[in-house]
Amino acid sequence: MSDKKPTGMGSTFGESKVADMSELTVVRRLWKYLRPYRGMFILSLAMLPVISGVQLLQPYLLQIAIDEYIVPRDLTGFHLIVLAFAACVVSQGILQFVQVWVMQTAGQRALRDLRQTVFDHVQSLSVHFFQRQPLGRLMARLTTDIESLQEALASGMVTMIGDLFTLSAIVVILLYKDWRFALASFVVVPFLIALTAVFRHFMRKAFREVRTKVSRLYSHLQESVAGMQVIQLFVREKISGQEYRDINVEYRDANFMAIRFDAMLYAVVEAVGSVTVGVIIWYGSGAVMRDIVTLGVLVAFIEYMQKFFVPIRDLAQKYNFLQAAIVASERVFELLDETDRLPVVESPRTIDEGPLEIEFDDVCFSYLPGEPVLKNVSLRIRPNEKVALVGHTGSGKSTIVQLLLRLRDPDSGVIRVNGVDIKEFDPIAYRRRFAVVMQDSFLFQGTIRQNITLDDPEVSDEAVLDAARCVHVEKLASRYSDGFEHLVGERGEHLSSGERQLVSFARAVAHRPEVLVLDEATANVDSETEALIQDAVETMMSRQTSVVIAHRLSTIQNANRIIVLHRGEILEDGTHEELLAAGGHYSTLHRLQYREAS
Amino acid sequence: MTLSNRNRRIVTYFVRYWPSFIFGAVFLLATNYLGLLIPGHIGDAISTMQAQGISAESVLEACKEHALAIILFSIGAGIARVVSRVQIFNAGRLIEFDVRNELYERLTRLSPSWFGTMATGDLTSRVSNDVNFIRLLYAISFLHIVNTITAYFIALSKMLPLDWELTLICLGPFPVILFATRFIIRALFNQTKIVQAELSNLSSQVQQNLSGVAIVRAYAMEKREKAEFATINDAFVEANIKLISIRGAMQATMTLLAGIGTLAVLYVGAHRVVDNSLTLGQFVEFNGYVVALAFPTIGLGWVFSVWNRGVAAFDRVLDILDAPVDIVDPSDELRLPNHDGPKGSIEFSHVSFGYSEDQPILHDISLSIPAGSTVAIVGRTGSGKTTLARLISRLWDPSQGTIKIDGENLTALSLREARSEIGVVPQDPFLFSMSIENNVRFGLDSLENDPTLHRDAPQLSLGSRDQLTRREQVLQALKIAGLDEDLKTLAKGIDTMVGERGVTLSGGQKQRVTIARALIMDPRILILDDALASVDTRTENVILDHLDRIMENRTCIIITHRFNALARVDRIFVIDEGRIVETGTHNDLLNSGGIYSELCERQKLKEELEL
Repeated sequence: MSDKKPTGMGSTFGESKVADMSELTVVRRLWKYLRPYRGMFILSLAMLPVISGVQLLQPYLLQIAIDEYIVPRDLTGFHLIVLAFAACVVSQGILQFVQVWVMQTAGQRALRDLRQTVFDHVQSLSVHFFQRQPLGRLMARLTTDIESLQEALASGMVTMIGDLFTLSAIVVILLYKDWRFALASFVVVPFLIALTAVFRHFMRKAFREVRTKVSRLYSHLQESVAGMQVIQLFVREKISGQEYRDINVEYRDANFMAIRFDAMLYAVVEAVGSVTVGVIIWYGSGAVMRDIVTLGVLVAFIEYMQKFFVPIRDLAQKYNFLQAAIVASERVFELLDETDRLPVVESPRTIDEGPLEIEFDDVCFSYLPGEPVLKNVSLRIRPNEKVALVGHTGSGKSTIVQLLLRLRDPDSGVIRVNGVDIKEFDPIAYRRRFAVVMQDSFLFQGTIRQNITLDDPEVSDEAVLDAARCVHVEKLASRYSDGFEHLVGERGEHLSSGERQLVSFARAVAHRPEVLVLDEATANVDSETEALIQDAVETMMSRQTSVVIAHRLSTIQNANRIIVLHRGEILEDGTHEELLAAGGHYSTLHRLQYREAS
Repeated sequence: MTLSNRNRRIVTYFVRYWPSFIFGAVFLLATNYLGLLIPGHIGDAISTMQAQGISAESVLEACKEHALAIILFSIGAGIARVVSRVQIFNAGRLIEFDVRNELYERLTRLSPSWFGTMATGDLTSRVSNDVNFIRLLYAISFLHIVNTITAYFIALSKMLPLDWELTLICLGPFPVILFATRFIIRALFNQTKIVQAELSNLSSQVQQNLSGVAIVRAYAMEKREKAEFATINDAFVEANIKLISIRGAMQATMTLLAGIGTLAVLYVGAHRVVDNSLTLGQFVEFNGYVVALAFPTIGLGWVFSVWNRGVAAFDRVLDILDAPVDIVDPSDELRLPNHDGPKGSIEFSHVSFGYSEDQPILHDISLSIPAGSTVAIVGRTGSGKTTLARLISRLWDPSQGTIKIDGENLTALSLREARSEIGVVPQDPFLFSMSIENNVRFGLDSLENDPTLHRDAPQLSLGSRDQLTRREQVLQALKIAGLDEDLKTLAKGIDTMVGERGVTLSGGQKQRVTIARALIMDPRILILDDALASVDTRTENVILDHLDRIMENRTCIIITHRFNALARVDRIFVIDEGRIVETGTHNDLLNSGGIYSELCERQKLKEELEL
């Protein structure tokens, strides 16, 4: 074994530092989502004092029972007390149920809105953002983090407000009954408060640790599952397993820490509650003997104090959930605060119907500062023109397409369509005019048809069939008994990459765009199919503006203009014949290409 | 009693950590024992206060003793409580830890055919959420079950001698109501399953949306995606609300149950005190027990919901843990023979295969690739080229026929040892979120650090006689793969981080990293599955030139659509609709006038068209 430990996947993506929002900020932001349901929310909150009331009436009824009926040994009218007690018990049960139901319904709906807001927000973020974020982390924001809010809600976190009400009511009742006796009973409370403050600090730390670890665990797993074939082919099972195990150990140990503090806090609060009973007996015996308080009051005090510490004990539990919820909310809000998106103008202009004229005016772009990918690119694509972008890997062809589709904005320079800066349009309406086939043909979980229509109601069955015929997806579908309704796996697992590409072709064709963009789209298709597709593409290209990226010259034979890119600059621009005659970069490329086939 | 597989598995994990559970249970017993001593002392203290004919001093003295006893027991109970909770909750975490590791281990052994059946979102939801529910199944259920049983047992042993009739009246309705809650429990179970299925649905949707983000943007699908998410989100939330209602009903029932006990004590107990069959102290003591039993009774309600959720989760996790491993690693450690000279001969005899029964991909393939040769496999999309390559790396096993490597039956060879000598460069250049260097070292790390692999990490550098450091080897592999020029444009060179899916690199750059990753393993068989598709012709030629030099004595299989490489290879297999239709050298095949020459002809024509 080498002493150098391999650096595992996921390890490079330490959890980003969480914006340290104050708890108040978090609660205030959460309230925004609860606001629409405030009627229900307030109703359920209003029920809390009532519930406390019927709960706290019970020891009082017991006190009356002892002092006025049992000790004097006279049970006349006692049944009224019993009936009142029964009423308290039953209404407590029913009210608690209703309160929980109302609160949960409001809370769940608020969380649904939050989840939707986050999802919607993510839809507006730039493609760039997704390249910086591991998929696993984003997944966690939308699922487990909001889940932990839900868990906090289900644990009755909000009833803490009710608990606080109960606590203060008990304090008032006891002080009212006998202030000296009450003070004696509360003698341990300051001690408890100090202790809770200390534990709170440690628990907060422990819970943060747990959340960070769980996020790494999730990232690692996500990536492992996505790359499982590679792991298996490169016999990395044990190493990756060990990496996962190591993160898992850290996660487990962080949990052990949390459990220790949690158990201590829980037990201490419970013990303090019982100790108080001892104090009451101690102090109370004297008071009873001196006839300062009655036996009934003594018993009621014990009952009240027991009811006093139960919420405090649960408060510790609920506080854990609250902590987890706050940390989770911070992360969710951090994502919501992410502004890495393309600016959309207030009142977007509408795009002219019909063909589009595209113009790049002195456009510069870089993914990383200091590493320019496009340098002062100016080009014009006239309506119905078919333009081929040619160049080596990394010459900036794909970047031009990204900018054209406004998946990113240039660092400087302007891109205009029909003379209007594309930033003036609503990006979604703008992109609708294009259809793209990307390098990586991603298929969604669903049927072949759904992957062609993308559930767009504007794509008719005819368009699907027409497109499928065009690019020979019809033949592909006919292999399956359920044809177009055949389910294709998450990443089109059972289709070869060529077949996946055919489906993405059909997708582009079926959307009947005004500008067709092919990004190295023919790379994985064999010559025979490629010829058929080119045939289809040719028909389509004759209808609208087209921008084609290809390494091989055969794929650009339909273009009526060729732009040669080199290291982010336009080197040559002209027709095939012109460029060949010029004897520059293109003619060299062409010579190489020609040699390969001979 | 026969246990279902699931229940047996539940027991297995329990048994594994039984000392913690038993230890925890003992301390829980101690907690309840000490805690339930307190009502007796309260009762006694009150009886003392009420007693006639005793001096005030001795009453106070006795009460002080009772108070001290209560304080002592409280502290003792508290300490026992800490121990019991830590033990039981830790055991839950340990089980969670094990289940996670076992899941991961199983996932690494499952074949692509299994992964094809489960969406990633669903999978990750099972490995994260469901594992949590399993932990709660152990920790929370066990804690509450033991707590409830011991609390009842101890309380009953004190209540019955005091007044057995009153005890029966207090606790009599319990069995009846518990019986009646059976239907709530069933509803709870069913609803739990629905909620978990909805959650899984939700995760899947998010996962799909995030991985397909480029398509979502380019086709302006955002609105529809939002609407679809809203539908799923709604279904999930409504299912959740329903679950909560059922759970609430359960809790309410339990609260009422506890209330009935107190009510019975109040009504019947008062009469007993008046009748002189019970003292006031005993009345208070009895009431103390009933109050103390309220929480364990409510806890029982928790057990039901946690239990059902846990069992449903267990089923879902077992779907993975018990998934059949269809690519079996033979237990014997038969490895590929090591000898000098050319290695990596491949022999297919009568191999047939289909991803599903009704969809055969390969039919009766027989072919032989001599050791040290370079061959190409060409054919139309969907003809079965990639499938053929996958069979060699044993991602799938043939449904019929055998494959031999260097004379050994592939399925008899130790799976991982064999794979370590087969370098695959897949179509889809998947990279991990690590530096370029670590991506290249991906398999080499395994050979160096995994003691279960016997093959030595290749020490000699590729194509050179000098001893190179690991880093130099990485650089060399990248150079052979034709990435050295590109590396110069990256500020951090091979330390450059690759995004989760290698997104900061272009498709061609990613492909070249994956080639280096395969080369550095010093494989006896190298499979390039359309691995140069995103690389331009000039770079392709550079790479092929490099490979020519170092692939001496190794077998190389090139799957391609491009004809650039074909003139160089020793032999070409033309595959069509799952059958080998032609075999020969480039010139042989051109002259024979079959499919191959037709494909070439077409290519040539296109070139001529451009002139």
